[in-house]
Amino acid sequence: MRDIYHEHLDEILVEVERMTHVVSTAVRRSTNALLTADLGTAEEVIAADAQLDVAGETVEGKIFELMALQAPVAIELRMLVAALRMVADLERMGDLAAHIAKITRLRYPAAAIPDELQGVIEDMGRVAQRMVDQAGDVIKTKDVSAAQRIEATDDQMDKLRRSQFRQMMDASWPHGVEVAVDLALLGRYYERIADHAVSMAQRIIFLVTGEMPAAQ
Amino acid sequence: MTNVEPDLDTVPETVGAPGAPHEIHVELGDRTNHRAPSAEPDGVIELRDLEVFYDKFRAVSGVNLVFGSKEITALIGPSGCGKSTVLRCLNRMNDLVPGAHVMGDVRFHGVDMYDASVDVIEVRRRIGMVFQKPNPFPKSIYDNVAYGPRVTGMKPKNMDDVVEQALHGAALWDEVKDKLKQSAYGLSGGQQQRLCIARTIATSPEVILMDEPCSALDPIATAKIEDLMVDLAKTYTIIIVTHNMQQAARVSYRTAFFTAAADEHGQRTGRLVEFDSTSKIFGNPSDKRTEAYITGRFG
Repeated sequence: MRDIYHEHLDEILVEVERMTHVVSTAVRRSTNALLTADLGTAEEVIAADAQLDVAGETVEGKIFELMALQAPVAIELRMLVAALRMVADLERMGDLAAHIAKITRLRYPAAAIPDELQGVIEDMGRVAQRMVDQAGDVIKTKDVSAAQRIEATDDQMDKLRRSQFRQMMDASWPHGVEVAVDLALLGRYYERIADHAVSMAQRIIFLVTGEMPAAQ
Repeated sequence: MTNVEPDLDTVPETVGAPGAPHEIHVELGDRTNHRAPSAEPDGVIELRDLEVFYDKFRAVSGVNLVFGSKEITALIGPSGCGKSTVLRCLNRMNDLVPGAHVMGDVRFHGVDMYDASVDVIEVRRRIGMVFQKPNPFPKSIYDNVAYGPRVTGMKPKNMDDVVEQALHGAALWDEVKDKLKQSAYGLSGGQQQRLCIARTIATSPEVILMDEPCSALDPIATAKIEDLMVDLAKTYTIIIVTHNMQQAARVSYRTAFFTAAADEHGQRTGRLVEFDSTSKIFGNPSDKRTEAYITGRFG
């Protein structure tokens, strides 16, 4: 009976890791849709977000049941608490990917991002997706050093955001208010996806060490 | 064209939020176990290099423990790890076991409890014990409580007051005040266990030892005893042996984990593995053996 409980515990992290793959795909596809004004892909990303929410609720239900019935302690308790928080992070990352897709839908058939600004969005999308993938790997390996490295990747996102702001605050900004608003929102969405990936990495550090890393 | 480096810290959290972001002050509470009154136990009872033998069999070895006054300390571990043996050393109950002898130091307020000059009856008056199964005497409720003060030679001015106070202390008075002369055997199991606690505190001890006091009780009676323990800890030092780890987690301030390990002759001897605040033991224990035991992955 205890073995079945431990199998269920192990399955929780497998399911959370599986959710990172779904989010990674959503970030990649929403960025591609944005850069190519691909309404079909954008709609698919938006629709897939509901499925991610259902997956998150299912994992939450399993965590709740294990907490209620098995009275977990020590690393098992830390694991379930960490998983609960990571599921919330992943659901929110999915929402943010859907928000990116909704900007594509809003501006369709026009492209939301002018050609000369696509580079920074492409970079932001790539960094965000890499951080989601890194978070998934860290869930699988429980490698504290790798978890700490995710924060270094987050620094790249911050640099991109600064670069984006510099472009928008330039006095000769030629693209008007609408593009500036879209770009500010998109920068915020990618930055928040990165922040959630950092938060997930911190949960894994807590799971392994029992100590929560200091807030940055 | 501007060359001002944008400062992301000044960007409002929500795009479009009016004005500057509000500064939020959050008072963070003490993250240590809120029940632990002090960082280190004060040592009302101290064990130094404790070893307990039953004839040639070494049941427990190398135990160093410092108990804090007016705290609840839980002793946990698998069967045969020596936790009950250690508990019985704390008021010399092992003296009653043929062949049992103790080496090392057991100190109560710094005094060697096993010194030849120490009065064993006085030790057991000041360090009382509640056992696994409720064991009221075949007497009335009143006489059960009055028994301790009478046999230990206490001469209270008014025994009725002593009995009433002890029954209040054990949260039993309201249930028995109208039937004090009735047999204690008429009480439920949970009431009998609280009567045994009343009998113990009637002798005004400083320390109460409890050896699995709830193992024969249902969850409601268990909850009453647990509430009572927390209440009693305002006045008494409580040391409890329990197999119920959730009970240890719920009621105790500190927890000691014992296990048994085989020596070079294959003889299994109980040893203390880890002693720390209960929140540390159940949240993030230092020793893998503790973690394996409390998560059920032992062995």
